Amino acid sequence: MMKHLRRLSQGFFLLLFLWLFLKTESTGADELAYPVRIFLDADPLLFFTTALATRSLDQPFLWVLIVVVVTALLGRVFCGWICPLGTLHNLAGALKRGPVRSRPANGYRYKYYLLVFLGVSSIFTVQLSGIADPLALLVRSLSVSVHPALQVATTATFDAIYASFPAGIVGVSEWIYGGLKQIFLAFRQPLFLQSASIGGLFLGILALNLREPRFWCKYLCPLGALLGLLSRYALLDRTVSEGCDGCGACARTCQGAARPDGKETWRKAECLACMNCDDACPRNAVRFGFSRKKPVASLDLGKRRVIGSMTAGLLAAPLLRTTPLSRPAAAEPKLIRPPGALEEKEFLRRCVKCGECMKVCLTNGLQPTLLEAGIEGIWSPMLVPRIGYCEYRCTLCGQVCPTGAIRRLSLAEKAEVRIGLAMIDPGRCLPYAHARSCIVCEEVCPTPKKAIWFETAAVKTRDGQTLRVKQPRVDLELCIGCGICEAKCPVLGEPAITVSSLGESRSQDRRLLLS
Amino acid sequence: MHRRAFIKSAVLAGAALSLPAGFAPFVHRIEAAGPPDLVVAQGASPAGITRAAVNGLGGIRRFVSRGAVVVVKPNIGWDRTPEYAANTNPEIVATVVRLCYEAGAKTVKVFDHPVADARRTYKQSGIADAAAAAGAVVRFVDERKFKDMRINGLALKSWPLYTEAIEADAVINLPIAKTHGISGLTLGMKNCMGVMGGWRGRIHQRIDESLVDVTRVVKPSLTLLDAVRILTGNGPQGGSLTDVRRLDTVAAGVDPVAVDAFGATLFGMKPTELGCVRIGHRAGLGRMDLARMNIKQIRL
Repeated sequence: MMKHLRRLSQGFFLLLFLWLFLKTESTGADELAYPVRIFLDADPLLFFTTALATRSLDQPFLWVLIVVVVTALLGRVFCGWICPLGTLHNLAGALKRGPVRSRPANGYRYKYYLLVFLGVSSIFTVQLSGIADPLALLVRSLSVSVHPALQVATTATFDAIYASFPAGIVGVSEWIYGGLKQIFLAFRQPLFLQSASIGGLFLGILALNLREPRFWCKYLCPLGALLGLLSRYALLDRTVSEGCDGCGACARTCQGAARPDGKETWRKAECLACMNCDDACPRNAVRFGFSRKKPVASLDLGKRRVIGSMTAGLLAAPLLRTTPLSRPAAAEPKLIRPPGALEEKEFLRRCVKCGECMKVCLTNGLQPTLLEAGIEGIWSPMLVPRIGYCEYRCTLCGQVCPTGAIRRLSLAEKAEVRIGLAMIDPGRCLPYAHARSCIVCEEVCPTPKKAIWFETAAVKTRDGQTLRVKQPRVDLELCIGCGICEAKCPVLGEPAITVSSLGESRSQDRRLLLS
Repeated sequence: MHRRAFIKSAVLAGAALSLPAGFAPFVHRIEAAGPPDLVVAQGASPAGITRAAVNGLGGIRRFVSRGAVVVVKPNIGWDRTPEYAANTNPEIVATVVRLCYEAGAKTVKVFDHPVADARRTYKQSGIADAAAAAGAVVRFVDERKFKDMRINGLALKSWPLYTEAIEADAVINLPIAKTHGISGLTLGMKNCMGVMGGWRGRIHQRIDESLVDVTRVVKPSLTLLDAVRILTGNGPQGGSLTDVRRLDTVAAGVDPVAVDAFGATLFGMKPTELGCVRIGHRAGLGRMDLARMNIKQIRL
């Protein structure tokens, strides 16, 4: 009975999550129509680590508060009934055949060590929680890898039918394809750097279910650990009556690492409130109800190990930040941050690498970094103009950022934000080096007074003919670094005009111009 | 401050009002036999002058037959709202769509292959909503419908073109008049570039010949130039209202070169100053000698 209710709840929240994920896309309007980041907004781990790393409480906290209160009252119902990644683990775990191998007795403690590490490192302003946070991990994996790959497969299939099947079949397939485009496919094929590795990691985490269902939730999930801590004194409790004969049916169905089969061994913090043990008990001896009993099994993590994780968290800052990238002159020039991104240090304290901004980016230009922002900044967003530019009147990345790493900009503010500067390579530019007309860059430059202007110059062709061509120049006062010039430059590969992060307005020490 | 704003607006308004006089020498009120070569309609209502211009050319039935599949090709190139004059006036697009249906068209398709993000250009220009409300099928371009076609033109040998535009029974070209860095102005022939796929930036190397080539393939049966607002600087994208001038004018004609030749005069230019007009005239695509044309002027 409870199982059906739980599955209904899981299905609802998974579908809600996926629907909001698919709606994280422009319709052409200035604002998104739905609160697409609501799951991330409700994530206590992202909230607390960001609050610690930034020493501020300026994020929205309503949904986090609800999750915290519900967990404090009912235990880890978020894990068992709501978490979309947990539900995917359930689905993947259903593929597991045969008995579960004996689990490591204290394996459940690893997630607490991870939590301690993330918490302590965030105290020292290193924000790494998004790498392992289940919701950030899920949004990132879907955005960067799973959804793009499914779209590649879908498009290839329907393109093949379109190209080589008779009209009748094509009519049907195009009808289906049209429907898929409406509800499932992105407006344009998203393509991301590191798609394969980020997707591979995600598949690997799902594959752990083949070893043991909900492996991630039991042993690794730092959000689960945090909710476990919050649920230690939950009012919802589990009692086992005298009728229990120790048959162990409950242990086989337990989704957490809660050890429900021994009377005194049940770990409340590991219970996902799935209530399978209640359903499975042949003697109907298990009962969930409200009580104010003290927790039975205490959470013993081992002092040395906790101190070890704390030390690791403490070392994270000096280890990760001993890099010349922090020097203004040595910072990676390709690291063009989205408009509204905070100053780099502050940005890294907030960015949880969830990939929402990359998902919503109109042009697909926002891509995950590898080492451009240091190891600390892995998978944070970077504009790669060759892949896509920053659309002049679009402010979506700031709208979906869950932690304010990218500020929400008004259209007027957006027009003022400089994310980099464009510079021309006259050795490659057609009107400079090759006596040919072009100035596509000038045409597409979006600032009201164009940052790219041109001089008409007389150049000689090989046969001595004099030609008048327009040679582009960049007005550094007006250029905002949006990168459309680089994106549309007909000199492909290594374009004749390129944008770097030099001069970005969020940085005080990487300015170029005097004023 | 008030005084300064007043003087500024007065100067702008004066300039706008005096502009029609600039092209007056080309406008003949003499009615010749048959429909005129060009119709220039002026008035406060974009829908009204659009209808008047089409009627002045002999009515929409001259271009659209019953049951026809019509492509109406506005300029939806940029992420700008209508008052910035970067895209065709949505009311004009909607009016032409309605006219086509009134003539018995089976389907009227409206699309463009924009430079900026298509979702934003379609929405922000107001064209998608206005055209759909008038009953048009408004779709984003489908990359699969670009087919490499032989052109054998002055500059283009072959290029991927949008099959829907090539296969339509009639193409009605709805450009807006704007300045443009490489081609000087963007008018009707430049607007035909919207049916091109591929990496279009390359055609800038021989823009004028390319535009003549593409227009010849697209064969618009009617070109109606939107000069309700024109963009006089920082084109084709604009973004500043100081570069926009309100002329409350449309110009319509069958000859794409003639319409563009006339469009040049709106900016105080001679038709011969536009490369594509000069080359289009020389290549026999159309005429640019406005002085010898029958131009009908309508004021509403």
